[in-house]
Amino acid sequence: MPMTNIRNLSDQAVLRLKEFLLTMQEFFFFSVRAFTTMPKLKRYWRDFLDQANICGAESIPIVLVSSISIGSLLAIEVGNLLEDFGAKTMLGRSTSISVIRELGPLLMGLMLSARYGSRNGAELGAMQISEQIDALRAFGTDPIAKLVMPRLAAALVMFVPLTALADFAGLQAAGLLSEHYHHIDPGIFWNSVYPRMVPKDFVVGFLKAPVFAIIITLVSSFNGFSARGGTAGVGRSTIKGIVVSSGLVLIANFYVSKLVLENMQ
Amino acid sequence: MIELRNVTLKYGDKLILDNVSITVKDNRIKAILGPSGVGKSTILKLMLGLIKPNSGQIFVDDVDITRMKEVDLYPIRRKMGIVFQGNALFDSMTISQNFSFFLRENLRLPEEEIERRVTEQIKFAGLEGYEDQLPESLSGGMRKRVAIGRALIFKPRMILFDEPTAGLDPVSSKKILNLIASLRKTSNLGAVFVTHIIDDVFAIADRVAVLYQGKIIFDGETERLHESDHPFIMSILSDKILEI
Repeated sequence: MPMTNIRNLSDQAVLRLKEFLLTMQEFFFFSVRAFTTMPKLKRYWRDFLDQANICGAESIPIVLVSSISIGSLLAIEVGNLLEDFGAKTMLGRSTSISVIRELGPLLMGLMLSARYGSRNGAELGAMQISEQIDALRAFGTDPIAKLVMPRLAAALVMFVPLTALADFAGLQAAGLLSEHYHHIDPGIFWNSVYPRMVPKDFVVGFLKAPVFAIIITLVSSFNGFSARGGTAGVGRSTIKGIVVSSGLVLIANFYVSKLVLENMQ
Repeated sequence: MIELRNVTLKYGDKLILDNVSITVKDNRIKAILGPSGVGKSTILKLMLGLIKPNSGQIFVDDVDITRMKEVDLYPIRRKMGIVFQGNALFDSMTISQNFSFFLRENLRLPEEEIERRVTEQIKFAGLEGYEDQLPESLSGGMRKRVAIGRALIFKPRMILFDEPTAGLDPVSSKKILNLIASLRKTSNLGAVFVTHIIDDVFAIADRVAVLYQGKIIFDGETERLHESDHPFIMSILSDKILEI
C-alpha cells in the first residue's frame, strides 16, 4: 500500500511538471507572437490609444498616491536615522537614490500589476469564456495581434513617463516632508539631490519600466487567454496573473538593479 | 466539403473523441446529435482548426488542415461561418459594429461596400432600428439572429451552428430553425449543427451523426435513424430530448 501511494505521488509530480513545462512553452510562443505582431500596430492604433489611456492616464492617481506615500515615509524614517548620526543634510541624496533607483519603479510596478494586470486578466478571461476569442480566430483575426500586442505596446510606451512621474512626485513629497518635519532648508535638500545624481541612477530606475511593462502585460494577458470554467475560472486566472506578475516584478527589480550597478560606472 | 477522418482527441487522460469520422457535403444540412458534454462542440472547433486532434486528419475542400499554421488557416476559416452557443458577440460593440468588424479586419473593401453588406445583414436578421444598440439590450432570439448574420458576413459556403436553439423559447427556436433551413434555399449554404434536441434534427437535417461516448454510433440520412437498433438511439427516439 505505501509503495502504491509513493507511485501515485510520483506520477502526480511528473504530471504537474509536464503541465508546467507545457504552460511555459505556450507562454513562450504567446510572448513571441505578441512581439512579432508589433508591425501591425498601425492597424490597431485605436486599440493602442485606448490601452495607453487605460494604463497611462487612468493610472496616474494610483501612481501618485503610492509614490507620494513612499517619498514621505522615506523622508521621515531615513531623516530620523540620519539625525542620530548628525547627517541630516544627506537626506536628499538618500531618498533620491531609494526613490529613483528602487522604490519608485518597484511600487509603480506592483500598483500597475494590480490595476492594469487585473483589468487585462479579467477582461480577456471574460472574452475567453464567452468564446469571443474563439470567434476572433474563427473569423480570421489574430487575437494576440488584436488584443495583446496593443496592450504590450501601450504599456511599453506609458510605463516610462509613469516612472518619471512617480520619481518626481516621490521626491517632491520627500522634499516637503524634510522641510516641514525635519526642518531642513529646501536648498540643502535639493543640493544633495541633483549635483550628486549619476546616469546610473536613472538607468537603473528607467530600465525597470519596460521590463515591468513586458512582465505585467504578458503574464496577465496569458492568464486571461487561459481562463477556463466560467466566472469562477475568470477569477482564478485573474488572481494567478496578479500573483505571478507581482512576484516576477519583485524578482526582476532585484536583477535589473544588480545587473546595472555591477556593470555600469 | 468538410471531412474528419479517424480523429481522436484527448484532454489530459480523458478521451473525448475516439476515432471519429464525419463528412459534411456542400449544400447539405448535417446534424450532430448527442448528450451534453460528449464533445459535439469540439467537433465544430476541430472543423475550424481552432483545436488540433491527437491523431487523425481534417480536410476542408480536400485540403488537409490538421497541422496547418494559424495564419494559413485564416483564409480557410472564412469559407465557413460559425454561430457559437453563447453567440460570442463582442459586447463592447454595437450591432452594426459586430457586423462590420470582421469586414474591416480582413477584407480591403471600400467603406460603401462595408455599409451595404452591414445593411443587408441587418435587414436579413430583421434588426432594423437596432443598429446602434449593444448586444446586451437584445433578446436571446435577436442575439442569435445577430450571430447568424455575422457568420454570413463573408458569404461562406458552410455555416456551423453550436446548439442553435439552446436557451430559446419555442417560438424563437422555430424561427431560428426556419432561418437555417431557408439559408440553403436562398444562399445555397451547407450547414452543420450540433444539438441535443432530436426534434430539431427531424425538423431540418438531411443527415445526422449520433455521437455517444466519444464514438459515432450512427451516420446516415435522418429518416433512417428509426432503423437503428442501438439502445441509445432507441432510447432517445422514445424520449425525444437528451438530458443526460
